[in-house]
Amino acid sequence: MKTTWTSRLTSALFALPYTVCFAMFLLFPIGYGVYISLHDFELLSEEHPFVGLSNYIGIFTGGTYENSVFFRGLWATAQFVLFSVPLLIAVGLGLALLVNQLPGRIRGLFRTFYFMPYAISASVMAVIWLMMFDTNAGFINSMLMKLNLNTIPWLTDTPWAWVSLIATTLWWTIGFNMIIFINALNEVPEDYYEAASIDGATAWSKFVHITLPSIRPVMLFVMITSTIASFNVYAQPFLLTRGGPGDSTKVLLMNVLDHAFIRKEVGSASAMAILMALLIMIISIVQYRLTYGRKERGA
Amino acid sequence: MKKRLATWVSLLTIFAMVTAGCSGNGGNANGNANSGADSGTDGGGKKGEKTEFLFWTPFSGADGPFMKEIVDKYNSSQDSYKIDFVIQPNGEYYKQLDVALSTGKDRPDLMIMHLDQIPTYVNKGQLQPMDNLASAAGINKADYVEAAINYATIEDKWYGIPLDIHPLVMYYNKDLLEAAGVTSPPTNREEFDAAVEKATNKDKGIYGYVVPTLWPQQFIFPTLVWQNGGDLWNGTDVAYNSPEAIEMIEWMRGMVDKGVSPGNVQQDGENTLFLQGKNAIQFNGPWMKSQFDEAGLNYGVAPMPQLGKAKQAVFGGSHNFAIPKDVTDENIIAGIGDFLKYVSSNSLEWAESGQALASKPMLESEEFKALPQSAIAESFPYVQFAPNVLNWPTISEPIWGELNNALLGKKDAKQAMDDAAAKSKQAIGK
Repeated sequence: MKTTWTSRLTSALFALPYTVCFAMFLLFPIGYGVYISLHDFELLSEEHPFVGLSNYIGIFTGGTYENSVFFRGLWATAQFVLFSVPLLIAVGLGLALLVNQLPGRIRGLFRTFYFMPYAISASVMAVIWLMMFDTNAGFINSMLMKLNLNTIPWLTDTPWAWVSLIATTLWWTIGFNMIIFINALNEVPEDYYEAASIDGATAWSKFVHITLPSIRPVMLFVMITSTIASFNVYAQPFLLTRGGPGDSTKVLLMNVLDHAFIRKEVGSASAMAILMALLIMIISIVQYRLTYGRKERGA
Repeated sequence: MKKRLATWVSLLTIFAMVTAGCSGNGGNANGNANSGADSGTDGGGKKGEKTEFLFWTPFSGADGPFMKEIVDKYNSSQDSYKIDFVIQPNGEYYKQLDVALSTGKDRPDLMIMHLDQIPTYVNKGQLQPMDNLASAAGINKADYVEAAINYATIEDKWYGIPLDIHPLVMYYNKDLLEAAGVTSPPTNREEFDAAVEKATNKDKGIYGYVVPTLWPQQFIFPTLVWQNGGDLWNGTDVAYNSPEAIEMIEWMRGMVDKGVSPGNVQQDGENTLFLQGKNAIQFNGPWMKSQFDEAGLNYGVAPMPQLGKAKQAVFGGSHNFAIPKDVTDENIIAGIGDFLKYVSSNSLEWAESGQALASKPMLESEEFKALPQSAIAESFPYVQFAPNVLNWPTISEPIWGELNNALLGKKDAKQAMDDAAAKSKQAIGK
């Protein structure tokens, strides 16, 4: 019995570093965020009176500044999520399938190429794409001009601003999804495909009936992480469009940060952040339920 | 039993290591700063302990080394005081400062603060007056540019000693203006309109003046509104949707319609074209100088022309030295005074970063007059700062998005500014 006790303790010890860091850097800040959101928290004021739910009520009261800031930002973020998540999944999977078809050595090379932008910092990403997209001096429009085509206001007109932001996001982050999908594809037993080939299945039906069902758990993981990442979109619009044209690409996080550090209303900014987190959680649960439910029916 | 003890000991050890690892990151910034300063100077015959104090700046750009040089020279110039010089990332500066001031942990003893932030921090009771410090150290108000002094003087108390003033300035490409037959940089609207029209060459893709639609409109728009006799804030309410302001927006947009500027200019688009030699004139801050030098442009600097109809005016910012309220140690305060006195006559390094200084003895020195940026100082008699009203950053925030709409031609100028004004009023609860 004693050995089990110590071995349990040993296992617990392995989890301890993570648990402690998790508590310090995630659990505590979240709890503190909730605490702040229930106070009138002006950072420089000496007193932070408890105000109950009034920060939250303010956000949901029509006509207040908080209300318009939150919902305008949420609408911009929602548009981004709606377009970026399906593409992040489809392009990630597509690249994984393509790269997996390549012969051994080149495969590693392309995997590295596609993954590389993921390691680039936001500011470098922005410098590169500002040069690519520049209306009057950028690379893409120069090419269009050479081909005698009309130039496109990539960052200063809708819907182009969204197209540019999503293209940049794909370039910047797709490597991660691709790697996850490549691993998932390698996990699918080769026998399934062999058996299907013997039965005369086409490549498409193999993909739909073998590949997709086999990687469903990974698909769910990618869907949820992509959704969360897309909800947290900040650097791309902040550095490329600055929220423009007008404030049409001014996403929720930009508004929350302005509210916290320009207006210094950390209390209601925290309330906005908490609402945003709740929304992400609800959407993740829905995504999980949809996938999980279908899986059960399928089994 | 022994085994159990061993388990507990290892558990404790791991716990200690983990927590140490976690907190290590947090304390790092300060640890670095101290060790950096320690390695600095150790001169003279140890007459006693040096008084050390912590100096925060937001100079994380190309300007950082210039300030560091001033501090290093000061540290080695005397034996009584030692400054721990800290650079915080520019974009994070006030976040870091707010946290440091509100928790009192690792807070600076001396800090750089933008002039237009001073009223807010005074209102929050975070700053202490510097009158006594100044008179003890022999620093005279009269030695600094009046506009900055007046702004930082609140209820007869002086809260910020200015280091520099950075107004909007005009940069022009000498080659392009010369090729267009413009012999001297424009000084008023007629000259400006004529110059940009002459400099525009559609076939070569050269524009006279590329109208920015985002930053640095935060400097350009106020300048034009004031020059045209308008105001951003009339003392009680927002005023930037006045006819004077609208006219200037329409004038800017008019340059796009006339073709002296391309449309759909993105963030930094005007600067990209300027660096490529395809934009003859741009308005920007003094901090751009080093970028143009590196690019090897043949450019000139001049004060802003008077583009409005009413008067000459220019929007500027200013870096000031300020002291948190909680700093009470007399030695430290004396040290700060000694350092600021030193800076008031030994800050040419700062001017070399492209900035124009706020200290008159420096402005009048031969060394400064020899620098090209001395032209900037010509605008100091009429320089204006952000409206001296609490929460101006909040009030003004809606302007920039709507101005962007108007300059991109998506909204009528009047409509855009009325929409912005409505948002501003909502922000201050009017």
